[in-house]
Amino acid sequence: MGDIRQSLLPRDVLSAAKELLYHLDIYICNLVQSGRQPPQVDSKTLDLVEEFILHSPKDRNIPARRMSALQELQLLEIMCSCFQEQSRDTVRQLMFSALFNLQGNQADESRMVLLGKLVSMAIAVGRIPILECAATWLQRTHCVYCVRLAQVLVDDYCSMVPGSVSTLHNIHSASPRFCCQFITAVTTLYDLTSEELTPPLELLQMIVSWIQSDPRLVLIAFLNTPLSGSQPISSLDVTPLGGLVRWCVKAPLVYRKDKKLAVANDSSESEPETGPLFSALHLSVLQVFMLLPNILNEKGLFGRLALLQIESLAALTSDLSRLLDQADKHTHTSSSDTHAASQLALDRLAQALQVAMASGALLCSREDLRSICSRLPHNNLLQLVLSGPVMYYNNMHTPPLAFSPHAAHSPIASHPTHPAHTPLATHPSSHPQYPAQPFVAGMQFPFRPSH
Amino acid sequence: MSAVFDGSPLKAMQTSHTHAPQIALSAQELSQEIKSFISGVDTVQGRKLNVREHARCAVRLLRSVPACRGAVLEHLRGVYDEHVSAFLHNLETEVDSSSGVSSNLEDIIQEVHGVLSEFIRLNPRAWAPLVSAWAVDLLGQLSSKHARVAPHSSSLNELLQLWMSCAATRSLMEAYSQCLAAMLAWCPDACVDALLDTSVQHSPHFDWVVAHIGSAFPGTIISRVLACGLKDFCSHGAKDQGLVVGVDKGSRVPKIGSVVGILGHLAGHHSDSIRKELLRMFQESLTPSSPLSPTPSSTSWESSPLLRRAAVPFLLQLAAMSPNLFGAVSAELVELLRPPVLLQLQGLLQGLPREELDNMLGLAVHLISQSPTGGARVLRFLADTATPASVIISGPTLSPHEGVREGCDRLLQTLLLHLHKLVFNRSDGVEGNPLNSASSQPQRTIPFLEELQSHVAELCAETLRLERKRHLWLHQLLCLLSVYGGPSVATETLCQLLTQARNPEELALAWQLHTTLSSSMAGLIPAAIARCVAQIHTHTLGPRQLRQLLLNLAAAIQSQDEERRGAAGAQSTMAVQVGSSVSGHLHDFVPLLLHGDPAVSHAAVRLLSCSPLPRTSSPAHLLLLSRVAVTHFFLVLRRRGEGGKVGRDGGQANEAVNCSVLLLSRFAAYSPLTLKAVLQQLVEGALHKGNTDLFGGQIVDTSGAPVPASTPSSDLGASLLDINCRFGTTVNFSGSVWSVFHAGVIGKGLKARTITQLPDPSGVIQNIQTLLSVIVQCCSSSGFNGSRPPSDPDEPAPINAEAAKVVAVTMVENVCPDVANGELSWPPEEHARTTVERDIHIRRCFEAHPVLFPLLQLVAAGRPALCYCSAVLRGLLATLLAHWEASREASSTDSPWHLQVSCLLVSCMGEGQLLPPVLANVHEAFPHLSPFEVRLLLLAVWEYVRGNGPMPQKFVFSSEKGLFCRDFSRDGDVARYVAPIHSVLHKNIDRLGHLCWRFQL
Repeated sequence: MGDIRQSLLPRDVLSAAKELLYHLDIYICNLVQSGRQPPQVDSKTLDLVEEFILHSPKDRNIPARRMSALQELQLLEIMCSCFQEQSRDTVRQLMFSALFNLQGNQADESRMVLLGKLVSMAIAVGRIPILECAATWLQRTHCVYCVRLAQVLVDDYCSMVPGSVSTLHNIHSASPRFCCQFITAVTTLYDLTSEELTPPLELLQMIVSWIQSDPRLVLIAFLNTPLSGSQPISSLDVTPLGGLVRWCVKAPLVYRKDKKLAVANDSSESEPETGPLFSALHLSVLQVFMLLPNILNEKGLFGRLALLQIESLAALTSDLSRLLDQADKHTHTSSSDTHAASQLALDRLAQALQVAMASGALLCSREDLRSICSRLPHNNLLQLVLSGPVMYYNNMHTPPLAFSPHAAHSPIASHPTHPAHTPLATHPSSHPQYPAQPFVAGMQFPFRPSH
Repeated sequence: MSAVFDGSPLKAMQTSHTHAPQIALSAQELSQEIKSFISGVDTVQGRKLNVREHARCAVRLLRSVPACRGAVLEHLRGVYDEHVSAFLHNLETEVDSSSGVSSNLEDIIQEVHGVLSEFIRLNPRAWAPLVSAWAVDLLGQLSSKHARVAPHSSSLNELLQLWMSCAATRSLMEAYSQCLAAMLAWCPDACVDALLDTSVQHSPHFDWVVAHIGSAFPGTIISRVLACGLKDFCSHGAKDQGLVVGVDKGSRVPKIGSVVGILGHLAGHHSDSIRKELLRMFQESLTPSSPLSPTPSSTSWESSPLLRRAAVPFLLQLAAMSPNLFGAVSAELVELLRPPVLLQLQGLLQGLPREELDNMLGLAVHLISQSPTGGARVLRFLADTATPASVIISGPTLSPHEGVREGCDRLLQTLLLHLHKLVFNRSDGVEGNPLNSASSQPQRTIPFLEELQSHVAELCAETLRLERKRHLWLHQLLCLLSVYGGPSVATETLCQLLTQARNPEELALAWQLHTTLSSSMAGLIPAAIARCVAQIHTHTLGPRQLRQLLLNLAAAIQSQDEERRGAAGAQSTMAVQVGSSVSGHLHDFVPLLLHGDPAVSHAAVRLLSCSPLPRTSSPAHLLLLSRVAVTHFFLVLRRRGEGGKVGRDGGQANEAVNCSVLLLSRFAAYSPLTLKAVLQQLVEGALHKGNTDLFGGQIVDTSGAPVPASTPSSDLGASLLDINCRFGTTVNFSGSVWSVFHAGVIGKGLKARTITQLPDPSGVIQNIQTLLSVIVQCCSSSGFNGSRPPSDPDEPAPINAEAAKVVAVTMVENVCPDVANGELSWPPEEHARTTVERDIHIRRCFEAHPVLFPLLQLVAAGRPALCYCSAVLRGLLATLLAHWEASREASSTDSPWHLQVSCLLVSCMGEGQLLPPVLANVHEAFPHLSPFEVRLLLLAVWEYVRGNGPMPQKFVFSSEKGLFCRDFSRDGDVARYVAPIHSVLHKNIDRLGHLCWRFQL
């Protein structure tokens, strides 16, 4: 493979890249057929890819050749058809990783740029094999780079080209796996800490509609992942659940701030209300949690795999308490709005905690939860969750439908209508200072489901 | 709840449809579209796409496939380029632009533009940086690629019009403007940076873009461009790159060059805002940073102390590179530099290293020397600030801080040094031939000096104020200016100094200037004098200045006289030069003697009296001079009479008279011609109607009688027509016996007696004395060469015979206009009755003009000139004879005037040697005799003169006396004329005994 370099050198940029792709295809086919395990692409080939496709400068004396945008488009087009025409998944995967797996060198920048364009184009022209490969890539790569890819796609389809969201919207039917990974990456990217990191409205609408139409979409990556322990370090979460919970919990406080800014700027643009979107999203997330016990039981992972990390929850609660403090400081105008928003955020947090713990997605003790939530202001529901007994299904044969009568009595359904219905009414809920969550001593509850 | 959820994606779809009017293409179609775009072939129909279709395809991809963005924009470059080519081609071949390729492409360009502007509008943050970079780059590429093809590349405006008439470039420009408008809100520096970079890359051809953008966003662009330039300047390091005087340095700091270029373009329309912006930058860099009150306009650079400190060097560098900008700022900058600002500036500059300060100093000096306007103000500012605070605050500004003063002092001195170098190194190449250098080599101009040339007068005035250091600086500057400007400026300067100096110290500055310049410039003083004369001619000088100029010149010439006595200094040659130049222009100064302002005429006479006379001069000039000088003489006499009472004026008048006398005598001594002219004028003037009162005389009418003062007005009414009508019918009796009616004119009654109001007798005497002294000086001077022997200096010089003759002849002509019987020899006494009228006229003349007697005496002293007065003497004697004959008084003393005249007449004739001493002594006896006896004696005189005619040829020159003398022994016997004398002596021996010895033969 390394000996073709001399023949590639005199070619023009595009035909050299084309020829290399051709040779790479043959080489990988041979590699797979040879049956060596695991199939490994050698470093010389990787160097050739970097030199002739990514055009990273090999030698300082020779200036790197660059493709024009038109040539690049042609190359992308060739790649698209190349992946499309390759029938064997293994070859395709190997080729994709030969091209785009990060090598930790200076070629990674152009690699990322090219990958972004390739995936963007694949979305546009519906090249499912590429999206599948990209989904795998997203599972294996460091989350920083995944986030970058997501950023490129969001920029391309949600902000740059108006009206192209529909194209992106279609990928959930084309490649649900990629769609799921994309949601994970996007929720990691937009953590609602600043204005730049707030998802565009189109994106939000799209994701909500995806999950609404098929809540299982969120779990597809998790379902398709063969081994739970093989996660590379600092890759994306297996599911976007953590990110989605974060969105739902923080949204009332963050978007309210935005709205206030908009009012101050006197912008008459009537943006669609994000509140209902997040409500729907929250509901969907809870529903996904409800799906989990069965799945986990099927996989035999119930109580052994935490889909919701306690660390991310800790970060979320500290963020939340900071946001609440800020909101508290700026309550001079609309204190009732602020109060309602913060209560909504706390309610959602409590609901998510409760359901996640009940469904086995969150594995932690109440002590841990209390310490995490100790900085948060008072909320009746949260108080209940932190102190009350937890109903969980230790019987794997209990059908999921049995959940519904319980749900009718659960505080989740009742909280919008009976906010004051609480045994701890001695604490006035309208107290502006939000007294810290009181810890009721002497109440010990089992937290770990006994299998 | 679910209803709400269902609605939202639908809404999203709807909004997306409004944005994209086209129906969303399926993935398959998009794939086809991409293939078509790449290959340029319609994949469905299999035919080649034309440019339009290809572009349409690109636009569709731009709308639907985000990944194709780069490729589409790249492809569109080609489309735009093609359109520009076609456009320019059409323009050249004059094809109607509505047909052909360009029109086809124009709509596609419209389409592209529409899409892009929609994108920018919808999402400026994402698209504006992208499109602006693309548009600027493409504009630069197009501009430089088609620069040679563009037909009218002459002026920026035409270029701008050309490009803006092309749809492609116009659309690019509009897109860029849109981006810029959007980006200014959040990243203004970035977009201006890009503009600057492109401007550098496509330097001259891209200018129209910058100009257009700049005029569209003047305020922001100017300040951004400046801020960018400052940052760049700062990051490049002012130490090693900037701050060095020179043109080539500009290329090493890339951005400052384009900053200058851009601002230069904008200066045409927005020079005001540029100036404001520059000045604002300057001011804000000075004001101490106050974090508490950030101004709304303050952007990034004001907050960084490093940038603030670099602002002043940056501005200097900017100014050094663009004369336009410098010109715009310099004028107001000087106004800004009030003491508090100066203090701040000093505080700012103190922090800089020494080397950098020196660089800045050099740069500032360079700038000043190159500034084409406002130099005078800058100079005044520098001088004001650098002048040490004195006890008397003279300048308008308060005395600044001492450090500031020293800084200014240093700046000023460096400036002078720099100018000195510039001035004297201008013509290095032709050192060997300094005379030709001015003409053969085009010399480098120094704008500062060029401009100051028109302020020479003010500079001179400033210099002459003699303020401490200031006049030294200014004087040095004047020297440089003179050397730089060549003879014309030097002349002007010298001329100004001569005009404006008010005392010897100030005048000395002029001489200092001259000594400095004399080595390099010849003929400076004559030129300066000529220029002064020109000023006099054009009446540009006021009386005070004129007077000052004349006095200064006089002082200059007089210094020459002093040097003759004392040690000869450097001024001697100069004084001589002044003298000779003034003498060359003597006739130009002469009319000033009669200037209406007494001070001026006084100054003029001072000058003329001390200036040497030219070696040669035309008679016309000489005559004019003599006429004017004499007129002036009488004028000053009158002034002395009028103003004599007041002390200072009197002194000045006396001095004026003295000067005038000196002038006349010197002038008379110049040549026989002038002597004659002067004497003639003097005598005529003394007898002139207007001057008679000076000498105690009265105005005499044609008949010789004193005229009443009122008659001239009635005479004015006489009509020429009347006189002409009467001409034929009347007989003109004038001059004959019959027209004389001394008691009056028939029909007009008895003649009114004139009331003679005698003027101040002492004044009259003084005037007569002055007149006589002038005439005597003239007559006795050495005008007639060689006639004066070396004699005792105590003894007054003898009266020159020729000069006396001139006086005599003039006198006769004036007193006795009727020349009938004008011969010198005398007729018998009886014939006198034929000339009665003339005789009476003569007598009246003498009556009216007492000054005639001294003159007569003077003539008598200049023997044999009295002979030429023969007719006058005769007429006078005849009237006296008639008077004494008719007189019935007991004693001659009863008619005192006649007695006096008789005595004077006889004594004059004796002095003039018309009579022998025996006869001449008879006047001594007159007062003691009766009128009849007087007549007898006078008759004896007449008889003698008749017998021995008053002929000049009877006189011979005696060399030992230096005089002409008459040898009476050659004439006939005197004895027979003495007989009546002896008879009278005998008759009155009782009273005349003591006189008998006087009449011994």
